[in-house]
Amino acid sequence: MTEQDHRVRGVDHVAFPTFDPAATVRFYRDVLGFPVVHSICAAGWGPENHPDFIHFFFDIGNDDRIAFFYYFGSSPEVGGPVGEKGDAYARFGADVPEYFVRSRHLAIHVDSEHDLLEYRRRLDASSWPVEMQIQHETIESIYTHDPNGYMFEITRAMRPVTPQEDDDANLTIDALLDVVAGPEPTFGKLLARKAELIVERVPV
Amino acid sequence: MTTLFVLDVPENISVVTVAVEDPAVTVGRRGHYHEISADGPIVIDRRATGCRHAVWYSCIAGVGRDGRITQHDKNALRVDPV
Repeated sequence: MTEQDHRVRGVDHVAFPTFDPAATVRFYRDVLGFPVVHSICAAGWGPENHPDFIHFFFDIGNDDRIAFFYYFGSSPEVGGPVGEKGDAYARFGADVPEYFVRSRHLAIHVDSEHDLLEYRRRLDASSWPVEMQIQHETIESIYTHDPNGYMFEITRAMRPVTPQEDDDANLTIDALLDVVAGPEPTFGKLLARKAELIVERVPV
Repeated sequence: MTTLFVLDVPENISVVTVAVEDPAVTVGRRGHYHEISADGPIVIDRRATGCRHAVWYSCIAGVGRDGRITQHDKNALRVDPV
């Protein structure tokens, strides 16, 4: 595979719908202290009876942004019936496993334990206290759900990622692609294929 | 022969240290990986490593086709010859 130059510069914005802009502004601007940096007030247009909307943005550091759409006249049912689990964008029945519901989330980076604990303090003083603080041994994270039900994580690295971990990740992905190209991929098949790639590619 | 590869990062060191307490087990190097080998099974006691969940369940980089993981739970990691 040819190495291509890597030109992108992080997240411009990630966008979600909200049906509760007041709570969303309280959570991101007033509780967390993420500045409002941009907004678009737009009359609906287009072929699908697009409602009038406000698209508003909060700075999440590094000039990256989280953005929301508020559609006038809309209610959560616009996305389908309210479910037992999920958030403003995606709803799930009670039988959908929690690991799946939680799989899609946004994690925002901080540089230190001091900064992580400062955001913990802000959240704990609000209506959206931290639900979990977990040290995953190499990273430490705090979690809550924002007013829209979106899983929200702030995380710090306990140590820098080493170059060998990047190399290892590439072996993992090559092994994964080989295994998913075959029948019935399993974790065991992945580890076996990865062992072969280590022997093939890594000098003794 | 069973072979287990473990990436050389600080959190994984205790996994390797515990593995070699068994005299039947040898540890070599292949680049950034520890290569843990034995003619018979490789058994690593989780509590002896001091690893918690995140590291314990993600410490294996590869298992040679001559071996197969037969146990990987809160008590132990066991790789048996196929």
